[in-house]
Amino acid sequence: MNAERRSPLSAAGLVGPATIYVALGLLLPLAILFRYSLNQFVPGKFMVDALTVENYVKFFTDLYYTAVLTRTVRIAFITTAICLLMGFPLAYVLARTRTRYKNILIMLVVLPLFVGNAVRAAGWMVAFGNKGVINASLMGTGAISTPLEIMFTETAVIIGITAVNLPFMVLTLQSVIEGIDRAVEEAAFNLGATPMQMAYRVLLPLAMPGVLAGTILTFILAMNAYATPVLLGGPRFQMMGPLVYGQFVQQNNWPFGGAIAFILMTATLLLTLAANWMVQQRYRAGGA
Amino acid sequence: MSNWKISRRATLKGLGASAVALPAVLRGEARAQGGRIVVGTWGGDYAKLLAKNIEDPLLKPKGFEVAQDQAGDAPRRSKMVAEKRLPRGTTDIQGLSAANMFEMNEAGVIETLDYSKLPNATNLLPQMKYPYGIGHIYSGKVVVYSPKLIAQAPTSFKDAFDPRHGNKMGIIDIQYQWVMAAASLAAGGKVTDFEPGKAVLMEAKKAGVRVYPTNEAFAQALKNEEIGIGIMWKARAVQWQNAGINVQSAAPSEGLPMYVSGFAIPKNAPNKEGGYAYMNAMLEKSAQENFAIDMGYNPTVSNATVAPDLNQRIGFTAEEKSRLIDLDYAYIAKNDAALKEWWDKVFKA
Repeated sequence: MNAERRSPLSAAGLVGPATIYVALGLLLPLAILFRYSLNQFVPGKFMVDALTVENYVKFFTDLYYTAVLTRTVRIAFITTAICLLMGFPLAYVLARTRTRYKNILIMLVVLPLFVGNAVRAAGWMVAFGNKGVINASLMGTGAISTPLEIMFTETAVIIGITAVNLPFMVLTLQSVIEGIDRAVEEAAFNLGATPMQMAYRVLLPLAMPGVLAGTILTFILAMNAYATPVLLGGPRFQMMGPLVYGQFVQQNNWPFGGAIAFILMTATLLLTLAANWMVQQRYRAGGA
Repeated sequence: MSNWKISRRATLKGLGASAVALPAVLRGEARAQGGRIVVGTWGGDYAKLLAKNIEDPLLKPKGFEVAQDQAGDAPRRSKMVAEKRLPRGTTDIQGLSAANMFEMNEAGVIETLDYSKLPNATNLLPQMKYPYGIGHIYSGKVVVYSPKLIAQAPTSFKDAFDPRHGNKMGIIDIQYQWVMAAASLAAGGKVTDFEPGKAVLMEAKKAGVRVYPTNEAFAQALKNEEIGIGIMWKARAVQWQNAGINVQSAAPSEGLPMYVSGFAIPKNAPNKEGGYAYMNAMLEKSAQENFAIDMGYNPTVSNATVAPDLNQRIGFTAEEKSRLIDLDYAYIAKNDAALKEWWDKVFKA
């Protein structure tokens, strides 16, 4: 046992395969993609070897592209906030419930993940269309006379992404809340806290690691959403994911596509780090 | 007993020998006939119909083995350009639109055809005979409309983009080149310059024109009466009619921009003769006739006969044929990036 522990090889042996896998499967392609993003695009010849930052300059000097980036960030913020607001109470109930059907309830939350994004978006398309379930029901009951425009709007995309991301938020929060001792909540009530005070002063700070993890997870997923904005947002609604795809697959413009991919990745990373940092700061300030 | 053993061994030996020899004999024969052909093609119906109407009945009996490399045309074009430096590429024949064939020829990756190797090309319509490829099937852009929603039958692209239709007008995003060509014709311009069409499209946008991502989404919108008018290939209108959608088509008075789906042979094709054999088989009378039936596009050879009732739906009258317009591929190749940028940033924004 001791001999094994002393051997540096065992740790390396355990970490090695995953490291090699990540290096070959993620870092190397990323390095190649970054190199491509410094190349030039010449129509007809496609990618021409070069060492230029013109693709990045093009992105940041064109209002159209920066608008796509801000729209993506905005949608990601909105959907993450909605997921948090809707997910927290649900996660709390799931964590605290004593029913024997708890496992079934958790399975129900996970169930949507069994179906791919595109398939779920197709379901929303059926619901949102001019003659879809929602409009048909509303018009049938006489609530409206002309169909509501839901398909191909920002609202449709927000609803779609929220539905995709909500289970991730709920599951993350539920596992953290379950780890919080029920006794601290009871202590708060004993000391005269109202339910809202208890939630805000006791539960939320203790659940903060879960809130942070869930927020980061859903934020990253929303920033990189592809199927939902394409299918529910329509051709006029551009987000970063579809923009990257379009440059690579429709325009054959690999250098610009690579640059957009890196900008998206960097923006996601920076915003995630910033959120993490801000929460840590508050924690420290609160603890002091 | 021992006799039986010997005979079993002999049998096994004999079987083994034939198992080794037989495939070799077959392979040798196949190689003599032309061997393996790799065809780059779009997936879906097109790929299936290539197998059904060309590969299975015409090439396999001759000992050819055919493999399909299915992908959208953009990734396949990237691949062709990426493989430019290799002495041996990975495909023997590639399916590309006329505009893409032009672009690939400009990029110097496709073969200038030796028409003497294509006996069936004697029947090829002159417009479908490109120096660097053949037209396999074609259709023309027409105005499609729902007789239920559009009371007055349209006769021109000008009618199709008329702002009075408001949000009953639909446009397909991936068809932007032809939409701009049609809009340019509607504005009295030509297909050699899409600039005049921009004003027409902006007027339509102001009126509330709807933009759909794909042909299928457009068809769906026609079906559920979200839209009542737009422009599309006549062949597609036929497919939609078959699918029970209430849609009619009208040949626009300004002319009919053509969609030509063609095939070309990469310069570094490993089996160039196989590529020619495939191309020749595509122009076979039977193959062309069956494509008209199955896909609704027009044959590109003069000896293919299309049943009169089918021809009425997919074909064009002699007068309409005279108004078919091939796009200016040099103009598109040069300006595509700028046109697409206008489409995305100004028209769709």
